[in-house]
Amino acid sequence: MAVSLSKGGNVSLSKEEPNLSKILIGLGWDNRKTDGKDFDLDASLFMLGDAGRCSNDAGFIFYNNKESADGSVKHHGDNRTGEGDGDDEKISVVLGKVGSDVQRLAVTVTIHEASERGQNFGQVQNAFIRVVNEDTGREIARYDLGEDYSTETAMVFGEIYRHGGEWKFKAIGQGYAGGLKAMATQYGINVG
Amino acid sequence: MPVNLSKGGTVSLSKEAPGLAAILAGLGWDNRVSDGKPFDLDASVFLLGADGKCAGDAAFIFYNNKKSADGSVEHMGDNTTGQGDGDDEVVKIDLAKVPEAITRLVFAVTIHEAKERSQNFGQVQNAYIRVVNQAGGAELAKYDLSEDASTETAMVFGEVYRHNGEWKFKAIGQGFSGGLGPLASSFGVNV
Repeated sequence: MAVSLSKGGNVSLSKEEPNLSKILIGLGWDNRKTDGKDFDLDASLFMLGDAGRCSNDAGFIFYNNKESADGSVKHHGDNRTGEGDGDDEKISVVLGKVGSDVQRLAVTVTIHEASERGQNFGQVQNAFIRVVNEDTGREIARYDLGEDYSTETAMVFGEIYRHGGEWKFKAIGQGYAGGLKAMATQYGINVG
Repeated sequence: MPVNLSKGGTVSLSKEAPGLAAILAGLGWDNRVSDGKPFDLDASVFLLGADGKCAGDAAFIFYNNKKSADGSVEHMGDNTTGQGDGDDEVVKIDLAKVPEAITRLVFAVTIHEAKERSQNFGQVQNAYIRVVNQAGGAELAKYDLSEDASTETAMVFGEVYRHNGEWKFKAIGQGFSGGLGPLASSFGVNV
């Protein structure tokens, strides 16, 4: 039975799944069915060190940089329309391969061209993030984002992080009205 | 050697700090970088008599009542955002000046307007509360609020209490639902 987290809550993935080695992070949402430009939501992942920043631009994993240098993180590709049930975008992580200088993996979702298209997360419903044991397919933890984030265009859904020798997952659900640029800047990445 | 408290831990530190005389409670957190209302954490101290209650509202030391009548407890000021390194709020206690009638000092941390802002400790980065022995600066106990109190909005961190003529510190680390109002009421204080 997957642990269902509320905002701010955390769970030890290592305790829930002894011998956990590979996880699949699944992100999903429903786009509200209204007229206008398509919604193109993009999942990405920031590999953060002690200071909460990426050590270089290669630590920002997204549709144009799908695999981390150490081979630990793999982005499964861009879904441009949100079509299909279940996970809309997926990121795999081989925990044992994550570099020892990386303490946290921030899992984020941004709306592509949000300003140009006049879109924000208030128009997105039933957003969730879940962590699955990739070896067994069992869902370990899940966070359903409940609020109406009507000014945000970039969101941190959750974080996978090291703590006391274990890997944990925290439900975050916090966003940035300034979009990808504002969020990436916090993590030490220049998106130009 | 500071005791890092996990959820529910209870430790008596009399061996760690014999002759405890002056301490401070330090509360720290990172200011908010994501959008939304700032995280405003507040440290407070309840001075309790043998009946487990504050003798009057003046025995509740917080940002709007910074100094106890006898000068033994002083809150050094409200930080409403967490801006700044190290402890963001400090409450200093001179145990030698605490009147005989006061037998326990309870330390609490609350999130201001937690309900209105829909906030809990888990959303705050690097939030902690600690007690430091002013003589020598040794940290007696520390609690990681962001990690271990993550879905709470208020918590009782620990207490300093009299025992056989000396002061001892007991770490508690228990969340309290309802926030500062109900917490204060439980100690006989109207806020």
